[in-house]
Amino acid sequence: MTRVMIIDDEEDIRIVLKEVFTRAGFDVVVASDGNEGLNMLREQPADLVITDIIMPGSDGVETAYDIRMEFPKTKIIVMSGGGNLGPVDYEPSAISTTAYLASAEAVGADLTITKPFDREELIRAARELTEQ
Amino acid sequence: MARALNRISSRMVLAVMLIHAVLLPLLAYGMLAVVRNVQEEIFIDHVRIYSRVFADLLQSTGDLADEKRIVEALDNAILGGRCVHAAFKQGDRRLLSSLMDADEGEKFSEDFSFGEHGDNVYYLSVPLLAGNSMAVLEFGFDEEPTLLEMDSARSTILSIVLIYLLVSIVLVVFLSTVLSRPLQRLRQDSHKIASGDYTRKMSVDSNIVEINELTKDLEHMRSTLVGINERLEGEIASREEAEAERRKAEIHLRHMHRLQSIGTLAGGVAHEFNNVLLPLLLYTDLALEDLPPYSPVRPNLERVMKLANRAKGLSEQILTFGRPAGEDMHLVEDMAPVLDEAVSMVRALIPANIDMQIAIKRSVGPVLCNPNEVQQLVVNLCSNAYRSLLQGGGGIRISLRACTVTEEFAAEHPRLKAGDYVCLTVADDGEGMDAETMERMFDPFFSTREVGQGTGLGLSVVHGIVTKHNGEIVVSSEVGVGTTVDVFFPQSDVGSEEGAEND
Repeated sequence: MTRVMIIDDEEDIRIVLKEVFTRAGFDVVVASDGNEGLNMLREQPADLVITDIIMPGSDGVETAYDIRMEFPKTKIIVMSGGGNLGPVDYEPSAISTTAYLASAEAVGADLTITKPFDREELIRAARELTEQ
Repeated sequence: MARALNRISSRMVLAVMLIHAVLLPLLAYGMLAVVRNVQEEIFIDHVRIYSRVFADLLQSTGDLADEKRIVEALDNAILGGRCVHAAFKQGDRRLLSSLMDADEGEKFSEDFSFGEHGDNVYYLSVPLLAGNSMAVLEFGFDEEPTLLEMDSARSTILSIVLIYLLVSIVLVVFLSTVLSRPLQRLRQDSHKIASGDYTRKMSVDSNIVEINELTKDLEHMRSTLVGINERLEGEIASREEAEAERRKAEIHLRHMHRLQSIGTLAGGVAHEFNNVLLPLLLYTDLALEDLPPYSPVRPNLERVMKLANRAKGLSEQILTFGRPAGEDMHLVEDMAPVLDEAVSMVRALIPANIDMQIAIKRSVGPVLCNPNEVQQLVVNLCSNAYRSLLQGGGGIRISLRACTVTEEFAAEHPRLKAGDYVCLTVADDGEGMDAETMERMFDPFFSTREVGQGTGLGLSVVHGIVTKHNGEIVVSSEVGVGTTVDVFFPQSDVGSEEGAEND
């Protein structure tokens, strides 16, 4: 059974995504931040990690990077709430979650996805990545 | 009265009259005296010569012995003209002309002065030799004709003097008018300058040196004034301009700051919002899956699902406003097809009875853009235009053209730089906007429509899109006339650079 790890600081998101993946036939584990997720992966690796990008502690980019380094075969989906963080000046250098997503992809995330997304959309992406 | 007397012409007439009042009587008196003396001398010479010749003739003819002959000769003297008295006296013998009364003959006196004694007769006695003794011929000449001549000469002189006086006055009035005309002209010009018309040059045609110099001085003064005035006006204008520019820049900056902070806030809110929306959507989806097909809860849950999806749409729009530049953009060589598609979308949304004029130019230049967003921009602008029409009728005009932004225009709109742009215009004949509305029109959730008729996101999304494209949006609107929205997209020089490299 394909094992999926959900990393998000929002409990509601963890619960609902766990439910979604469970119903879709995945084996699901959840973590509330990057460090917890990494520790759990070291105990039992997962085929796919879905991580939020903005979290207290280590953020999604760092988490994606660490996972890629330590578990090269694990697929990574990074999701974002969209919008901006910090001051936005309409400048390309402004920090936005889109910029975060781009950097997450740069450090090795296989897919980036913006919240809110459809259930089918997520499952389809997860299946495509894990069945490769 | 005093003012009239103080005029140049009055003064000159007075001066001439004063001079003449002194000179003319003297002149007249002198002339009269000369005429009188001359007439008198002529008269006296004449009567003396006449008497002498008469006496000599009488003496030479030898008729002096015969008294009758003497009386005849005396008669002839009176008949000959100007004599009124003729007598012959020798000793005690006294013969009178028969044409005189005896008492007339007694009147004789040695009157050698002309015009005296009041009888107008000039008496004269001429001695002559009659036989061996001396005799005297007495004559009295009528002064009347000569006095009459003198009278008429006097009237002639007085008339001439009077005419001379009148002619002088007329000449003086004429000359003073000629003299004062350029002064009048200068006065009118000065009045004009005083009333603010500095532009007219002061030039007076006059041969009089003083007036010419005065004109020159006044003209110099005027041109100096014009210079000062122009400099002051220029300074005022440039100050006003600078002030207006400063105010505009201030408003623009304030506006930008507000939009930036709203953008930041909106982005933050959207982020949190999406974190709530995701579980909301997914939980509802899962709940729906768990429900039996005909559960009474299903319609309600489906409504929740629909509303959550609407909220998702709103959140996406907010993010378009707040999203920074540089995403999902690519070089579009020709904007026209993008616009064509947008127009057909708009046409489908807007009732057919609304007149739409489309003027889309082909190949207006390459633009780095996101075609989907440009289309959304057109749809949003047209939707606003259509809604503004609802009460007033009229039409919508959409145009696309290449345009060049000048330095001056760029100075007015800080987001623009001088150079080539593609200009997209959506104009309507709708109800227009007042200044207050225009100030807030780009604010998210600001809407002039009734609650429920619009989200108030349309123009903020347009603003977000334009900003993202490094463009500028220029809105001009008049209440009751309509609104024109010009959107400027910078023409990309990527294409031309590549072209240059290929060369």
